Amino acid sequence: MKTIRVLVACGAGIATSTVVMKKVEDLFARNEMPVEITQIKIAEAAGKQDEADMLISTTMLPTQYKIPAITAMAFLTGIGTEKVENQIIEAAKGIQ
Amino acid sequence: MTKTTLSSYVKEPLVFAQKNFSSQAEVFEQVAQKALDLGWVREDFLERIGRREETFPTGIQLMNFGAAIPHTDAECVLEEFVAVITLQDPVVFYSMEDNSQQVKAQIVFVLGLNQPHAQLEMLQSLMGLLQNESVLSELLLATTENELISTIKKNQL
Repeated sequence: MKTIRVLVACGAGIATSTVVMKKVEDLFARNEMPVEITQIKIAEAAGKQDEADMLISTTMLPTQYKIPAITAMAFLTGIGTEKVENQIIEAAKGIQ
Repeated sequence: MTKTTLSSYVKEPLVFAQKNFSSQAEVFEQVAQKALDLGWVREDFLERIGRREETFPTGIQLMNFGAAIPHTDAECVLEEFVAVITLQDPVVFYSMEDNSQQVKAQIVFVLGLNQPHAQLEMLQSLMGLLQNESVLSELLLATTENELISTIKKNQL
């Protein structure tokens, strides 16, 4: 099975992405999918998308990306978590 | 003692209960001035936290409350802290998810963090708190700084 390379981004790459990174790690583990996660600032996403399969962000996406990009505020508020988790897993399956 | 929970980051001088701050800018000024006096931040903290909030807002709309978790680049924080501010009248922030959406924040957590990966447990406890409206309302009801801190401790945050 291919390892999915995920970028987890927030504005400063320090607070919210730390929380979301853990959630994404757990989500992939539950679905038994290998994953490699990199924590970044959203401003770095455009430059890093060629070496990644998916972008998960807690901020608005400032531009369009070539790879699937998902906003994941739900991991912070707890509102709509399941929907975002499904989105991520569906995107991951699409990549494999 | 290891600094892992929210309460170990919440320090008395940077707790503000039921303040009458009129704007986001005033919240930042009050927190930054106190933190600067304590030597916990660099002088550019105020400018940078405001600028970052403009570019990447941190408002979080919950079911019944508005909250915000402003923070900025690690290098301007010298001593880590989480400032807690509850407001008499909500102050306008913009949503982290959509910067055209207003969030009327009744509680603000200014995160003074300088180690990107170290505070997972604290951040999880903070996010857990944001998802727990009964504890949030208890915090909003606290009328003094001491009461705010003891509510955080009592709920083992």
